Amino acid sequence: MVASPQHEFETQDLLINVGPQHPSTHGVFRMVLTIDGEVVKDVVPYIGYLHRGAEKLCETMDFRQGSGFMDRTEYLAAHNAELSYVMAVEALAGLEVPERAQWIRMILCELNRLSSHFMFLGAFGIDVGVFGTPFIYAWREREAIIDLFEEISGDRMMYAYFRPGGLAWDVPLNFKERVREVLKSTRQGIKDFDELLTQNEIFRARTEGVGTISAEDAIDWGMSGPSIRASGVPLDVRREEPYLKYADVDWDVITGENGDVFDRYYCRLLEMRESVKIIEQCLERLESGIIVPDKMPRMLRAAPGEVYIRTEAPRGEYGIYMVSKGGNRPYRLKVRSACLSNLQALRQMSVDQYVADAILVLGSIDIVLSEVDR
Amino acid sequence: MTTAAPEAPSTAPVTEPAFPVLPVIPGEHPREAPRLAPLEVIPGKALYKQILPGIVQAPLDLLLAAGRKSSLWPMTFGLACCAIEMIATYMSHYDLDRFGIVPWPSPRQSDVMIVAGTVTKKMAPAVKLLYDQMPNPKWVISMGACATNGGPYTRYDRVLQGVDKIIPVDVYVPGCPPRPEALLDSLLALQELVMEERGSTGR
Amino acid sequence: MTTQDLTGTIWSDVDRALSGVTVRAERGLLDLIVYIPRDEVVRALRALKRDAGVSFDYLRSLTAVDNEDEGIDIVYHLYSTAKKYNLTVKTTLPNDDLTVDTATAVWRGANWLERETAEMFGVRFRGHPDPRTLLMPEDMDDTFPLRKSHPLAEIEVLQGEGMGYTEEDR
Repeated sequence: MVASPQHEFETQDLLINVGPQHPSTHGVFRMVLTIDGEVVKDVVPYIGYLHRGAEKLCETMDFRQGSGFMDRTEYLAAHNAELSYVMAVEALAGLEVPERAQWIRMILCELNRLSSHFMFLGAFGIDVGVFGTPFIYAWREREAIIDLFEEISGDRMMYAYFRPGGLAWDVPLNFKERVREVLKSTRQGIKDFDELLTQNEIFRARTEGVGTISAEDAIDWGMSGPSIRASGVPLDVRREEPYLKYADVDWDVITGENGDVFDRYYCRLLEMRESVKIIEQCLERLESGIIVPDKMPRMLRAAPGEVYIRTEAPRGEYGIYMVSKGGNRPYRLKVRSACLSNLQALRQMSVDQYVADAILVLGSIDIVLSEVDR
Repeated sequence: MTTAAPEAPSTAPVTEPAFPVLPVIPGEHPREAPRLAPLEVIPGKALYKQILPGIVQAPLDLLLAAGRKSSLWPMTFGLACCAIEMIATYMSHYDLDRFGIVPWPSPRQSDVMIVAGTVTKKMAPAVKLLYDQMPNPKWVISMGACATNGGPYTRYDRVLQGVDKIIPVDVYVPGCPPRPEALLDSLLALQELVMEERGSTGR
Repeated sequence: MTTQDLTGTIWSDVDRALSGVTVRAERGLLDLIVYIPRDEVVRALRALKRDAGVSFDYLRSLTAVDNEDEGIDIVYHLYSTAKKYNLTVKTTLPNDDLTVDTATAVWRGANWLERETAEMFGVRFRGHPDPRTLLMPEDMDDTFPLRKSHPLAEIEVLQGEGMGYTEEDR
């Protein structure tokens, strides 16, 4: 054997393309990772594979037809998406929503937050590597909530139930009992997830200390929702600028400490418990009444003006900027999507992590591509 | 019922053996044990039915088609909102695993491509590439209104008005999004389609 | 400077922060709107972020509105996490010169928002670190969909006719 001289190993960075069809990109999202060994040096995200032009098409739609487009913008939390839109139309048209409609809207938005967070827990479990079990648990709970939504609005996912002024029609007579039934199974589901994941040693070792972002950076990037609350910033639209009846019920804003992947997961889990608390309080205060204002005009016309309404969707601040020049359709509708702003910080959060951790960071931001691309 | 072999010696006492003995075919080993004679051959009836009853005779293409339809593996190709209903169909409430349908992420090992969601012009080359990467036989289900003809987004010029502009589609499922039962119905219709075209080769 | 009654809004703090900048204020439906000319807008945004009285450290949204003949308005929505103030800043770009300075130096979060506004309206942000297309396909960046002059697509042939694939592909 000839003793070979000591070679200086040359390394080269490898470019890996993840997506747009990939089991762990949560939709059509593409990122190009530059890796050195197993460590990620650079992430370049490419989006736009689902850009469908909701903003342009809504300019041709009547105010009442826009709810259907907003559903499809954020399909996992459709009630929250519709809420921003109808609140913007109500502000421009000067409509006042009756009490009962507001309480019901609040209940449905919080239930939708629960179902969206269940989907996050399931998909995040797959990213971490717990393949199968959290996803099936999540869907069991989601089916319970979605069955309730189907009884109310007729559709499992695209409700078009919030109309400008109130609701499309009244809820069924057994609404309160049904919601209480759903909450019973939801509480058990949250407990299942807590026991399965939170105290799991491997889960914690994989998620703690990974993908941290500091509070100042998060504010600078314009992040919102549980992703920024996990960094310690108590920014929740429901507390800062209360809409519906959030100022009248008793609930806490959940913040984390480190801003890592585990905190983002745990914030969402604790937020689900707060949602259950909010729904119970709303159920006690729900009384009978009308659901659309008495003087509802047949042709809905808005005054000229502009308004920016923001609500707290499960992923962050979902804002609608609507400009109207009179008439019955918006002149310009801009959807301020939480996932787009959250996704900008992906590069900072995943540089100098391992490839598997980069996937975890992407999963913990909880993106829905139709909101990023609109 | 044939009796003793032709080369039985005529001088020795002829004892009828307990079982019929086949003539020894020259060329075989001399010490090979005598074999069982076949049962009475009735011309016109298949031989194997006498020996081994319980075999089903089927044409090979029927068996292949039945095998293909019972284990269609779709490639997970959820693009947009229809993907959520597709996932709901896989999960335990509307189980698809009982039909042998297992979602498989790789195109190289899957049979069906369920295009669930809007195909935009930016995504279209990727869809065509993935379709080309699938080996034959392959089928395509176009799920939802967006994949069928553009759906609610058809008036936007960055949206491909239906995925059948780039790949051939076998089953169209209407709905926005289609209910899990509708997707299940379409997969069962695809199974019927697979059985119908079982004679075709080159698929 | 002001033609409306702006008591009860944050106009006094904003006016103090924007000293030296020509600004016109208006009371919007829910918050205050200030109009700033194009050449001074980024300087004003930086002053709004740095000033301790208002400290708008959170850029909520950056978008544009196409007023056909009057030009394109760039709209910034700002929020202050410390003081809980909301502000809308608008600037108008004339149709023959659609350029404005970038705001990424002020907030990093303006990066993708400006890329999207640029490709939807044809506005050029001077000094942007990464002026690629964000949502458009790379080969379709010569038309600007959100302008009012851009038409909706026609519905193409019905299914079954003019398919893009040949029969041998089946």
